[in-house]
Amino acid sequence: MVEISNKQSFKRILKSGWTNFRRNRFMSLGATGTMALALLVLSGLMVLNFFTSQTVGFLDEKVDVSVYFQNDAKEDQILKIKSDLEELQNVKLVNYISQNQALEDFKNRHQDDQLIQDSIAELENNPLQASLSIKAVDPSQYASIAQFLESNSLKSVIDKISFYENETAINRIQGISRSLSRGGLGVTLLLALVAVLVTFNTIRLTIYNKKQEIEIMKLVGATNWHVRGPFLVEGGLYGLFASLAALAVFYPAIHFVSGKLLSFAPNINLFQHFIGNLGQMFLIIVGSGLALGIFGSMIAIRRHLRV
Amino acid sequence: MIQFKKVIKKYNHHFTALDGIDLEIKDGEFVSLVGPSGAGKSTLIKMLIKEDRPSSGKVILDEVDLADVPDKEIPFLRRKIGTIFQDFRLLESKNALENVAFALEVVGAEDDDIAKDVEQVLAIVGLADKKKNFPKELSGGEKQRLAIARALVHRPKIILADEPTGNLDLVNSFDVVKLLWRINELGTTVILATHDDKIVNTVGKRVISMDKGRIVRDQLEKGKYII
Repeated sequence: MVEISNKQSFKRILKSGWTNFRRNRFMSLGATGTMALALLVLSGLMVLNFFTSQTVGFLDEKVDVSVYFQNDAKEDQILKIKSDLEELQNVKLVNYISQNQALEDFKNRHQDDQLIQDSIAELENNPLQASLSIKAVDPSQYASIAQFLESNSLKSVIDKISFYENETAINRIQGISRSLSRGGLGVTLLLALVAVLVTFNTIRLTIYNKKQEIEIMKLVGATNWHVRGPFLVEGGLYGLFASLAALAVFYPAIHFVSGKLLSFAPNINLFQHFIGNLGQMFLIIVGSGLALGIFGSMIAIRRHLRV
Repeated sequence: MIQFKKVIKKYNHHFTALDGIDLEIKDGEFVSLVGPSGAGKSTLIKMLIKEDRPSSGKVILDEVDLADVPDKEIPFLRRKIGTIFQDFRLLESKNALENVAFALEVVGAEDDDIAKDVEQVLAIVGLADKKKNFPKELSGGEKQRLAIARALVHRPKIILADEPTGNLDLVNSFDVVKLLWRINELGTTVILATHDDKIVNTVGKRVISMDKGRIVRDQLEKGKYII
């Protein structure tokens, strides 16, 4: 007998997988539903991650350290300290604010307050200090930056370092952002594991129901691929439909949540972010769905193939 | 040609299902394998499709020692043989047509040939008008005829029937046996394992009697059911 082409047998496997999916509507619906929920959990985790990274970024932005200089400090001394700081690896940015600049900023900040404007005009000397504001690469490094300043040869021109006043606040913010990212990762891993296990188990039960059919196919002379192929297609179909269902629920849901969220966290636009990454999101969810379905079936069917 | 050489099959060291079987079955023979349940008929048949392996001795099919057939080649061995079981073993999720077609898909037949051969064989077993029915919608006799159609469709050299009439009434049983007879007349070797004496006596061909894992009688012609 002439061996038929791979293309034809592939077509046959696809067709048979689709027929099985259609005929076992109930079981397919159950498996697809479970997977859709699992994938929704996955999408939810992506929202959570987006949230934590936004919040952590936002908190970290808030933290900086300023060095205030004595009024008799010369500009080149300050600039020397600035360039020293800029050579440090853990310093991201150093901003020099001269006395004049500080006054300008102060005036601008209070331009509506006539009393302050008048009192400033009365003054002969500029009462504000020159300062350097420093951003670290990582908020945990402020202590070492403060220490570096303490040991600098030009320490005498430094009046005060704001780190020591804000130390507790900085530490607390650091603590919060650290536990936020750690907790987020922990929850992500745990829930992802639950989703995978539930999906896998559903597929395993679905295939267990067909144990006898698999045995019969083998007795009629089917090779492992004849038996396995349609099941993999079926698993892939669960994954495909589940991911489409999950996306169809996810986007309206975050649209709804995003609207509510904007009122108290205006700088986090959830919906915008996920619309902007629609392609990526689609690939991740559909990809995970297909992978879960196909690999789940592959593993679940393995033990039934030894007849 | 099928040969069994000093085949012994033991389960768990206690129970001996086959106790030194020596047997030769030529191409085109119709052999009735009789004996009470537990005599070893099913075990003998399982050896031929390598669903089970002998503890010692050799099973040879067309000069090939089945012990030498690697696991990967077992599907190809099974395609040379059509098997019919007491419990039908139909694919419940496929309809009659698809059940028969599956046996051909497995051997890699072309779609056109499958369509033609399946129609033909369903007509032979009298199920032409039930091809869209699922197994659960068929009677016992119809199920067994469908199983025969599936065993037959890829034109195997050998048909193994393990108690094919065990779940059927007398009329349906005779239908099944008549079918096997016709298949044999077209040149296919048929091995029929049964404990139904009426059927064996009707067939009247070679009868091998088994008991407790041994062959106790081998009547080469016009055999009767005798233990």
